[in-house]
Parts: sequence; structure tokens; C-alpha cells
Amino acid sequence: MSSSAYAPAMERTQDSVVKRQYKPKRDWAKWGLATYFVIFLIFLYAPMILMAILSFQGYQGGVTFPFSGPAGLDWWRSIFVNEVHHGQQVIFTNADGIRTAGEGSLWVSLAAGAIVAFLAFTLSMAFRRRFRGDGVAFYIILLALMTPGFLLGLGTQIFWKAMNQETSLWHTALGTNTVWGIPFGFLVMTAIWNRYDDHIDEAARDLGANAARTFGEVTLPLVWTGIFGAFLFGFTLTWNDFDRTALLVVGNLTLPLEIVGLIQAAALRPDLYALGTATTLVSLAVIVTFLVVLTIRSRFRRAPVQSVEEELGLGGGIDAEAAEQVVEG
Amino acid sequence: MSSSSAPEAPPPAARALDAAQAGERNSGWVTALWALPGSLWLAFYLIGPLVFIVLVSFWTYRLGAKSGFTTDWTLSNYGTIFHSHTYWHNLLSSLETSLIAVVACLVFGFPIAYFLALKVQSLRNQIALFVIALAPFWTSFLVRSVAWTYPLSDVLGKFGVTTPSSTSVRLAMIQLYILFMVTPLFFTLAQVDRTALEAARDLGGNWWQTFRVVILPQTLPGIVIGSIFIFVLTMGEYGTVQVISQGAVTTVGVYIQTQIVGTQYPQGAASAVLLVFILILGVFAITRFSNLREDI
Repeated sequence: MSSSAYAPAMERTQDSVVKRQYKPKRDWAKWGLATYFVIFLIFLYAPMILMAILSFQGYQGGVTFPFSGPAGLDWWRSIFVNEVHHGQQVIFTNADGIRTAGEGSLWVSLAAGAIVAFLAFTLSMAFRRRFRGDGVAFYIILLALMTPGFLLGLGTQIFWKAMNQETSLWHTALGTNTVWGIPFGFLVMTAIWNRYDDHIDEAARDLGANAARTFGEVTLPLVWTGIFGAFLFGFTLTWNDFDRTALLVVGNLTLPLEIVGLIQAAALRPDLYALGTATTLVSLAVIVTFLVVLTIRSRFRRAPVQSVEEELGLGGGIDAEAAEQVVEG
Repeated sequence: MSSSSAPEAPPPAARALDAAQAGERNSGWVTALWALPGSLWLAFYLIGPLVFIVLVSFWTYRLGAKSGFTTDWTLSNYGTIFHSHTYWHNLLSSLETSLIAVVACLVFGFPIAYFLALKVQSLRNQIALFVIALAPFWTSFLVRSVAWTYPLSDVLGKFGVTTPSSTSVRLAMIQLYILFMVTPLFFTLAQVDRTALEAARDLGGNWWQTFRVVILPQTLPGIVIGSIFIFVLTMGEYGTVQVISQGAVTTVGVYIQTQIVGTQYPQGAASAVLLVFILILGVFAITRFSNLREDI
């Protein structure tokens, strides 16, 4: 607030600030809510943590507590190798199935991530301007967000049956999974465009760049974090999906399907937990990756896009003062 | 402007203006080009399947046919569903689970969003805590469902909750979906006008009055969006319910899935159409609480 404009000509009684001893009051509501927040986090994370603990049991361990020691990596080994020897005992594992499912999951998730990144980006580019039917298009994107995965899986199966085609992981499950990822990617990109200064594009064109060059050298480098975010949404949602894939695929071709297969197996064993924990760790690693990328990027650029000079490092010729600030910052 | 000096050749500024106007006219095509891949993809993988659910629900089941149905129009699929005791039972049970989930997520999620948005002062801490609370969303619902069954069965047993049971399913539902409520609430609460809060306090409003008159009306859009999410997603739930309840709880999703496994596509489609109809009714009812289009 700049008060200089209203500075009084002379001192008035009401202008003198009465200073009282400010007594900081402890905000009990805040501490109560903080405690509740911690309980909430325990509620959110406890199932996963308990599962992780049980995956480190000895080879005699069961699927419920108590933990039967000694702690070991037998169950973790069992998801990677075919036979785990424990003295005389041999655990025959599902490593083959898990490897197939893991590879299937990985490739299909990467593909879904790439498709979601591409489609979310192109759609969001269209939405930078108003166009005829943009309202309808927006509602369709919302519909993609709101349709329960189970219904979409069902619809896709019926649709392909009606076309006399067999559903498969790559032809149908991939497409159905991207439908769930596109709205998330689109929302991420929309948030990016809301902060994006269109004058940057105009400036690039004024400086003689054609549309393609403006896009490739100015626009794209500024919004790639959003595209990367869309990719990660596509990847994790597909990586974790069960409802959509289950109705469209025969056999345990992805990890979630393999996990359900393990649940339905005759004897439940902690290798289920090792596998569950492993897939969860992959998901968490994806978030950490994204946060690291964001941090690195924000270190290069503290403030949101504000001026062309700042962004392109062209300050010298245009505004020496701004350039100095860039150098200093 | 130097247009008078060279009347034959338009000045650079005018040329630029012409080009810009031409660009403006051409931009319609550019926009259409940008929108094309996504539209085609969604038409094929979203609209097509949804349209065919409706179509097939009016077609006839035929065992011998390659697709499992023929294109003869009939209403008998709906007739069967309307008279199916199991379907209505499952639908009501789904509805009950859904409503409990919506209310519980709102009641338990609101303090979390309130704490994050209004009680945590620094933006840095706010974002950090929000990410920690949100991280489970990126992990598998299925894996978390598995975690709810066996490892937690003893813990839940100590509190008198047997697993699997409808109570354990509902607890798990709250855990799986509460983030869909916390997130929109957080974003709306973060936008609550702080000066209005101060004004309320200066005018002598106690906590409850401030909450009811200032905070609640401004967070209504968030509540509505969160409720819609949880209602729709829990009504369409089947994978996790199957894993957690092991048959103890039946939902409309499980019912439809058994029909599909038995290749009763027209019946399954009719059940799905009824479900969607109820979803639309529910969403309509929820949006009555707030004029979303105006509020957003």
C-alpha cells in the first residue's frame, strides 16, 4: 500500500498509532486440526505401510498379522526369480507371470502417457481461442473425466463386439485408459495456458519468426512441464488401472490384473504384498520425478511468465535494467 | 504513418495488419486442426462406446451370433431388468454405499481442506502438505484395496469391524475417494476472501457464524464438485469392491459384470443405461445446491 498520496498535511490525532502490547494467542483450533491432519495421513497411508511391512516377512509368513520372522527378502525375491530356496524348502513363484504383466503394464502405460500428452496438448491448444462448438467439446472432456471406468470398459467391449472385433490390450484397453487420462492432462495444460502470456508469441512474430518457429522455439519450451505433467497422468492412471482393463483383456497382461490373479489364487502369500508395494513405489517415484522436475524448473524461473525479455534472455537489447535483474536473479 | 508517400505499395504497418487479419481468419482452420486428433480419439473411444451401450440395450440377445446379439429392436431387456429383484437390491445397496461415502468424505475431508487452506500460513508448507495428502491418489486403488482386506483385518477386528463386511467396504471407500473431496474443497477454500473473514470477526461474528455466513457459501462449488465426483465414481465401482468385499457386498457394477461375463450384452447394457440415468438424476440433484456455472 502506498500511502504517500494521501499523506496528511499536518498531524491529526487520529493519525497517531496506538501501540498496545500484542499478546500472541495460541491458535488451539490450528493445533487441533493439525492433529486431525496427522490422523488423516495415518488413515491414508496405514494400509500401504502395513502391506509393505508384511512383505518383509520370513518365508513362513502369511497374509495377516502377526508378522512371522525372521524378516527376509524372500517374498521380494519371489517376484523376480522363479524359485526361491529356503533351506530344504522351495517356494515356486509367479515370477514369469509377473514379468510378463510388468512388461505389459510398463509399455502400455508409456504409450498411454505419450498419447495423453499429445492429445491433451493439442486439445488445449485449440481451447486457447474460442471456437464453434467449444462448449460441447468441453463437456465431452468433462464426460471423459466423469464416466466410471467400469461403464467405459463395458461400452468399449460392446462397441467392438458390434463391429465384430476382438478387444485387446493394445487396440482397446490402451485407448480406454487414455480417455481417463486426457481430461487430467487437459486441465494441467489449461492451468499452464492461463498463466501464459500470449504477448510472448506476438513478440516472437514481430521479431520475424514464422508460426512454426514461434511454436517450436518459443511456445513449446515454455509449456513442456505441462506436457510432461500430462504424460505422467496418462502413465500413472494406466499403470494403476484395473476397472477399464479387466473387461477388455483376456489373461493377466498388466500388473493390476496379475495382482487380482494372485488374490484369486488358491493360497494367498505375501508375494502379493511385495508386488503391491513394488507397484506403489513405482507410482510414488513418478510423483517424486515430477516434483523434482518442477523444482529444477522453478529454480531457473522464479516468477511466472511475465515479460518477454526475462523469458528469452533478450533483455540486453530491449531493456537493460530487466536484463540486469535476470542476471542477478 | 507514411501511407501518403507511397500510395502504390502499402506501408509495412498496413501489410502487417492485413497479414494479422488474414491470420485471424485462417486461425479457425488452425484451431480445428489442433482440436482434430483429440476429438477423433474421444469420439472413437468415449462417445462410440457410450452410444453403443444405449443402442445394444435395445437389441436382442442371440446365443449363436458372433457378437452375442442381433440388431432386432426390443424392449425386453428393460422389462427383465425392471422385474429383476437382484438388480434393484444391488442398485439400492450401491446407492446407500455411495451416499454414505459422499457424506463421510465431506464431513471428514472438510477439516483437512480447511486446515490446509486457512490454517497453514506459508504457501510452501501448504503445497508440501497438500502433496503429501494427495500422493496416494497416484497409487493403485486396487493395491490399496488389497491392503484393506488382510493386513488390516486384525486391526479392524479390534474395533469390532469384521472383514469382509459392508462396514469395511465403506471405510475403504472413504479412504479411496476422500481425496476427490479434499482437492476441490482445498482449492475453493484457498480462494475464500480473507478480508471477508476479518470483517466477520470485526463485526463480532463467532466461529460458527463466520463459517455459516462467509466460508460455507464460498466453498459450495467445491462441495458440489467433490460430491459429484464421489457419487459417480462410487456408484460405478466394481473392481475394488470385488477385492475388498469378496462377495459380502454386491453393487450394481458387480451385477453388470456378471451379466457381461455371461455374454448377456443387451441385458448388461440395459442395466448400465439405467445406472447412467440414476447417475444423471443424482448429479442433477447435487447441482441444485449451487449454481455452478455462475459460481465458477
